[in-house]
Amino acid sequence: MTDEELMLAVCDGDQSAYQIIVKQHLNSISHYAYRMLGNQKDTEDITQETFLKLWVNAGKWQPEKSKLSTWLHRITHNLCIDYLRKHSRMQTQEDIENEVDAALIEKGGDDGDDVTQQQLAKLDQAIGRLPENQRSALMLCHYSGFSNKEAAAIMNLSVKALESSIARAKRSLRKEMSENDNAQ
Amino acid sequence: MRSSKQAQSRLALTMTTTMTLEEFSTLVDIHGSNIENWPPALRKVGKTLLENSDRARILRTAQRRLEQQLDQITVPEFTGLQARILNQQLPPRNGSLLDKLLDWLIPAGGITAQLWRPAMVACLPLVFGIVLGNYYSFGVGLEFSEVEYWEDELAMLSLSDYSESIF
Repeated sequence: MTDEELMLAVCDGDQSAYQIIVKQHLNSISHYAYRMLGNQKDTEDITQETFLKLWVNAGKWQPEKSKLSTWLHRITHNLCIDYLRKHSRMQTQEDIENEVDAALIEKGGDDGDDVTQQQLAKLDQAIGRLPENQRSALMLCHYSGFSNKEAAAIMNLSVKALESSIARAKRSLRKEMSENDNAQ
Repeated sequence: MRSSKQAQSRLALTMTTTMTLEEFSTLVDIHGSNIENWPPALRKVGKTLLENSDRARILRTAQRRLEQQLDQITVPEFTGLQARILNQQLPPRNGSLLDKLLDWLIPAGGITAQLWRPAMVACLPLVFGIVLGNYYSFGVGLEFSEVEYWEDELAMLSLSDYSESIF
């Protein structure tokens, strides 16, 4: 079944069509939310809310305007931005650092791979410190595989503004990583 | 606005023949280290610069390294999330009659519907007023028969000029 057929079925209250959509898009939505929020609990809440919104607002999706994955990511993006604005940014940043530390402990921070793991942890923290729009642009284009045009639509930006955000994000990350390399 | 677009297209045209290191750096940031993923018009000049400039190669290597590091950052498993979402209580899909009416009057898309249906909404108070006026006299006695009354109502709605028929 195509996305359009599935969504028409959802509009008619077909829960099995809804389940298929959830299974198809769960990973991409939860991964994007995690990369925006940096903690597992809020990621799960936002992902759940995204699919609840899909169920309630299925009739509002316009297939001629955007793909279903683009529409779903836009819902997730808006929910994440609302969340980040309601909660203090410091708290989210703290969450990211805690999760990175926990991941390092799980992977055995003192192993021979230590330098690489620490570099990755630093990079993850640097991503968490990026402004929301730069982080979101990077996540959508690098990890979620959206084209610049699609990512711009998700973020409700012009393509030029999105490209500017990506360029700034990468420059910022490269700068932080090179400073980190020099410090070592 | 228009001159800005013209300037942009002039810049793009210039970049298809020559490219500075700064432009190359920006393009590498935007489209990635793999030049095959760049817009077709910019690939050739990008490759030429890459072949002839050590600095361009350094920029691309730095970008490639960052991309590889980004690829290594993983996301945890969300065990149980799928079950949690699929088992959550979903609100009923079929809305109330009022919701359906509102959905019809205020549609999601279509330029004709967007213009027509708000006009329909605007007419609702008029229809409501006619119905109300027909069923409630508000203390005003009506000496005419129902048929005559309706004829007067319709004649008034037609906005005809009665000034001549009075005299």
